Amino acid sequence: MFKELDPILHSQLRLAVMSLLISVKEAEFTFIREKTNSTAGNLSVQIQKLKDAGYIDVTKQFKDNYPLTVCKITKQGVKAFEEYVGNLQSYFGKG
Amino acid sequence: MQQPEKQLSEKESLDLIAMMINKAKDSYHNTGVGAIMWGTVIAVCALVKLAELHFNFRLPFDIYWLTILAIVPQIFISIREKKERKVKTYDDIYMDYLWLAFGISIFLMIFITNSVFNVWEPVAEEYNKLSGHTAAFRFREFIAPLFLLLYGIPGFVTGAACKFKPMLWGGLLCWACCIITIYTSIKIDLLLTAISAIFAWLIPGIIMESDYRKAKKGLAATNV
Repeated sequence: MFKELDPILHSQLRLAVMSLLISVKEAEFTFIREKTNSTAGNLSVQIQKLKDAGYIDVTKQFKDNYPLTVCKITKQGVKAFEEYVGNLQSYFGKG
Repeated sequence: MQQPEKQLSEKESLDLIAMMINKAKDSYHNTGVGAIMWGTVIAVCALVKLAELHFNFRLPFDIYWLTILAIVPQIFISIREKKERKVKTYDDIYMDYLWLAFGISIFLMIFITNSVFNVWEPVAEEYNKLSGHTAAFRFREFIAPLFLLLYGIPGFVTGAACKFKPMLWGGLLCWACCIITIYTSIKIDLLLTAISAIFAWLIPGIIMESDYRKAKKGLAATNV
């Protein structure tokens, strides 16, 4: 029987963000926006949802007097992402 | 990605994950400034040393200490590059440590070779006086292979990690020269050291820097 996919991750933009963050140590908001080709408003909402789920850490700093948002995946986020990929693979008979 | 909550099929999810991981991989760009600097410094040091021997003059200091001074701008370059980065990849961290390890190793190697040379030279002179023959073992001639052994490491690893063949081949060239210099005279050793620095760092560094500028321009154009 197939396991249900994590609804937090099973959304296009949130999954894109998590897939990016799993590959890097940390990334600025603008970098994520460029790579996901999303709008700032939409991305902010999705990042907040991931943060609320405990999957990412968001730190706000200042760089040359401009606000800077840096995102980093948490251990809980890594675990959830690995489970999600494992469940996906089971759908294709790879798990 | 304008729709906020688009649901995905399982196949689409896997494709998206693979695509984003590849995009993240592409985000590592070495600026090449460090390689340009090291290539220039080592080539200059080796050529000045060669000129000292060929034209029979001596600077009041060992020109190779210039490599220690090069660590200072290297630190500034690293800090500036870190500030400009919008993403910190695991490759960035490994590369920083690799080049730092290389700088420390060069410093230690200069220290070790100078210490051994200071001990060995009086012994060799004493031997020459007593025996009337020149000592067969000349420590100076084995310094270049030791340094070339180290020079090959950062280029080879950076080239392999960044899939950048000019630097990978440059690293291999350093090791080839390392073997050759065991059997050649000190002047040839210094010439091969300069050639290795130019081909392993300076030229690949210039190519990297040019690629980095192009990538930066491309990124800026997509943001307009």
